[in-house]
Amino acid sequence: MAERPPRLEGKVAIITGAGSSGAGIGNGKAAAILMAREGARVLLVDQVEDRARETLEIITSEGGEASTFQGDMTSLDDCERMAQTAVDRYGRVDILDNNVGISQRGTVVEVSEADWDRVMNVNLKTMVLAAKAVIPRMIETGGGSIINISSIAGLRAHMSTPYTASKAGVIGLTISMAADHAQDNIRVNAIAPGLVYTPMVAPRMDDDLRQYRRNSAPMQVEGTGWDIGYAALFLASDEARWITGIVLPVDAGLCAVHPGTYSPMSQQTRY
Amino acid sequence: MRLEGKVALISGGARGMGAEEALLFAKEGARVVIGDVLEGEGRDIAAQIPGGQAIFVRLDVTRESDWQRAVSMAEEVYKRLDILVNNAGVSATGGIEDTTVEEWDRVMEVNAKGVFLGTKHAIPAMQRSGGGSIINISSQLGIVAMNESSPQYIASKGAVRLLTKSTALQYAADGIRCNSVHPGPIVTPMTMGRRSDDDVRELMESRIPLGRYGEAIDVAYGVLYLASDEASFMTGSELVIDGGWVAQ
Repeated sequence: MAERPPRLEGKVAIITGAGSSGAGIGNGKAAAILMAREGARVLLVDQVEDRARETLEIITSEGGEASTFQGDMTSLDDCERMAQTAVDRYGRVDILDNNVGISQRGTVVEVSEADWDRVMNVNLKTMVLAAKAVIPRMIETGGGSIINISSIAGLRAHMSTPYTASKAGVIGLTISMAADHAQDNIRVNAIAPGLVYTPMVAPRMDDDLRQYRRNSAPMQVEGTGWDIGYAALFLASDEARWITGIVLPVDAGLCAVHPGTYSPMSQQTRY
Repeated sequence: MRLEGKVALISGGARGMGAEEALLFAKEGARVVIGDVLEGEGRDIAAQIPGGQAIFVRLDVTRESDWQRAVSMAEEVYKRLDILVNNAGVSATGGIEDTTVEEWDRVMEVNAKGVFLGTKHAIPAMQRSGGGSIINISSQLGIVAMNESSPQYIASKGAVRLLTKSTALQYAADGIRCNSVHPGPIVTPMTMGRRSDDDVRELMESRIPLGRYGEAIDVAYGVLYLASDEASFMTGSELVIDGGWVAQ
């Protein structure tokens, strides 16, 4: 049977958080590689240019087309430059995959005001500002697809109150943006990753904790950045052209069961 | 190809979303068993798929013996079963006071019990194959209600939504994933009657942020994603394909 065309043929994608904070493959890096494999031209955005360059090297070595952009997504100026750079280099923007995010543990009593502001800025405001800059460009070319990376921590208590609040905010932002921009043919969806092993969480993991996290969900396996990348690829593509305003858990079944089934709250203190 | 080497059984595969899924799965390398009560249309779809990649089996999803035969066919002809799409379904309209017991039972039999029976008989075959992926077609009306539908349709699709999570939990350890798909109003033979009423069609379109009915292929692509190993970390999830209906 004839080979099908690449799933993102002709499309231009902006991936924020396209580098990984350490060795390995994070959600943004995986999405960037997969989207490039499916024919997209990709703008790899990261605050640390060397991290974006690592992703670029992988894409280039596979024959894909991409380039890097260094920017701080908490700055509207940088977001505007990012969107304009994509248009200048590639002529259009069809896909925005918002990956930028950091962890923040603690209760409201424990968290400092500065840490609260930081996690809300990095995890939520970056998605607002990137979309604010990109949406007018998408409208000019007839529409697009925005993917916001939330978390199952936005749906369940997770011993990380600031993180949960920011990721729940991403869900509210997503459904509201979906309603606002459906008429512009811009789809907006969220992915809620479960316990995936990525460079973001690796520094605080050891073998016992990784095993505990595996055991936390019905499938008892560890997720990777690739699992989230494939979901982003699907939502980015025209295969999902009638999908907007959804929250897609990619979590080995964690949200499908009572949260205490596999990891009672009383035992969650370690992760 | 995204389903290379896999064998899929699709209930209600003779037309609408099920037929689209059968054709798409075959393009992605799967071998497909098309189950339906519509023999002529089902054989036509199988005939459109070249190279012995598809067979038709008569399948009334409310009959346990039909399911046993369909699963046996998959294993006899293609030696394994990796994917089950519980797609067959019927719709109904009306209020609860006017709904007869027979009307209630008919919809629950096909839409809910059919999924139970399909799952029950596919699971052992998937265990023999070392794992699998079950996709249950619920509805946006498995999440929110709508007066223009019927209590039995909405209840049956709600049942499918949580039967999915029950299956996901019970068989996760066997490497069998189970997810639900929640289509909004789709252009299929099942919805043809009501779509032909301009007032109904306009009302429905006004409720869909993306402004149009979905096509069967829009659902088929979501089912393909869940069937494939790209979704290997997904189970017990709901994939809503509804043009934004439930997000409002």
